[in-house]
Amino acid sequence: MLDQLGNGLLLGIIISVASVALSLLYGVTRIVNFAHGEIIALGAIMASFFSNLPTSRYIFLENTSPLGLSFEISLFLSILICGLFGAVLELFVFRPLRRNEFGNIAVLVITIGISIFLRHLYLIFASSKPQNYPLDLQRREQYFIFDLTPRNAKIIVYGILIMVLFGLFISLTKIGKQMRAVRDSTELANISGINSDRIILYTWILSSMLAGTAGIFQGMINDVRWNMGFLILLLVFAGTVLGGIGTSFGAMIGGFVIGIVVQVSVALPFMEGHTEAKNAIALAIMILILLVRPQGIFGKKERIS
Amino acid sequence: MIKPVLECIGVAAGYVKGLNILNGVDLVLNSGEVVSIIGPNGAGKSTLLKAIAGIIKINAGRFYLNGLDKTNTPTYKIIHEGLGYVPQVNNIFPSLSLEENLEMGNQKNTNENFSDVYNLFPLLKERSKEKAGNLSGGQRQMLALGRALISKPDILLLDEPSAGLSPNAVDEVFKSIVEINKTGVSILIVEQNARRSLEISNRGYVLDQGRNAYSGLGKDILNDEKIVELYLGKM
Ligand SMILES: Nc1ncnc2c1ncn2[C@@H]1O[C@H](COP(=O)(O)OP(=O)(O)O)[C@@H](O)[C@H]1O
Ligand SMILES: [Mg+2]
Repeated sequence: MLDQLGNGLLLGIIISVASVALSLLYGVTRIVNFAHGEIIALGAIMASFFSNLPTSRYIFLENTSPLGLSFEISLFLSILICGLFGAVLELFVFRPLRRNEFGNIAVLVITIGISIFLRHLYLIFASSKPQNYPLDLQRREQYFIFDLTPRNAKIIVYGILIMVLFGLFISLTKIGKQMRAVRDSTELANISGINSDRIILYTWILSSMLAGTAGIFQGMINDVRWNMGFLILLLVFAGTVLGGIGTSFGAMIGGFVIGIVVQVSVALPFMEGHTEAKNAIALAIMILILLVRPQGIFGKKERIS
Repeated sequence: MIKPVLECIGVAAGYVKGLNILNGVDLVLNSGEVVSIIGPNGAGKSTLLKAIAGIIKINAGRFYLNGLDKTNTPTYKIIHEGLGYVPQVNNIFPSLSLEENLEMGNQKNTNENFSDVYNLFPLLKERSKEKAGNLSGGQRQMLALGRALISKPDILLLDEPSAGLSPNAVDEVFKSIVEINKTGVSILIVEQNARRSLEISNRGYVLDQGRNAYSGLGKDILNDEKIVELYLGKM
């Protein structure tokens, strides 16, 4: 079980980053974004497209070779593209929907539609073959009680750093406070002189950049697939709901717990030969906790409505 | 000299398309005045303030701020033009600290150190780091007023500032309204507590079923037997 702890930590950090992003978007816009998984996948797929060598066996859109940029530049570009994509979604889809006062359910169905559409676009663009980044193989080392490759240890450090920075941003900066104000009440934010449309745009950008980052991490520890976002989305939802939807800190902890539980459950005796069922354990735990605390571990009662 | 700072001419507005709650309301607020809007529950008083603040769409008629047509201007822009608005409900950010609530009201950095608001409501300074959601009803009302005042508005819209407050808190709120008015802020106030409100008002409007039913000097309304019987009887 201990050797799974390092992997659990890794998955925990990744789910945690993605959950914080989902929760931020839900809190500010009240949109349950089923296309969140595809934004995660977008980060991973774009990073593969930018970084793999043109001579690699990966082909995009059946005749385009990857660009062979350095991995660092690829990371940067694909996170940027995720941010831009979030902006496009807000400006061309969700803002017009808001103007026309679409109901929550209609908007939810639209995010499901976007999710399916994008996933199949990725299938056409990146094919159904799993891809890997052009990174050299590394040997596992011992960090405290965790067995990790140096690269994966770095992912954990960066993941924690991202969340600390996010925490500081949301609690101390002007835009962070405005995001929390819009989360409490869009109408009162407007009445206070805040251009809430602008804050919602920034929220889409930030949430999408965080999602893309989580996707790249996931691509680094596992591989890059057209449907990877869909596969991870359930865990991200579980993390968000577990922590208490709408609270950043809750999503952070909830995502982390889900990631660790999923990974560690692989080592349970009765799971031998059934590792595919690991998600079921996490979801069972989520349901159990929600039966006891419907608002999530850190959620406040009044948030649920 | 009488100068209108806020003017509604034939304003019609509502929440759903094709169903107006306001059916052509006329109203003027002059510089330095306190003006009350009274009327039965559901008359459209809150709706009128929302239409002025750009929260709901004005379907017919015009709305002027300092003589300029501001009909259907986005809310945040109207606020930047010197309008302060304290809604009837949901008028604080519960998960933000008191200080952050005030900061949110100060979007254009019109106020540097908040000392004027802290002098008016010392409590807001004493508990500045606390979450606003922990405040009692009366304290919330003070915070809501403080948030609206922090941007140093020229015009203040107040929607039932005394609703649900203890008698002591009601006294406090009306006292602060008078004080705020003394600093030159023109105030439009919607109140259930019509007598109290008319006593501190220059003029008043009676709204009924989305229309002007009566308007006049505050003391004339209070002395008009018919209006007292129709609209103030139970108050
Ligand atoms: N958000 C809303 N959506 C639809 N109808 C509303 C809404 N708010 C108020 N109304 C309706 O508008 C009418 C006037 O309400 P309101 O302006 O709040 O009255 P008042 O403030 O004078 O008591 C009422 O009939 C009320 O039911
Ligand atoms: Mg009302």
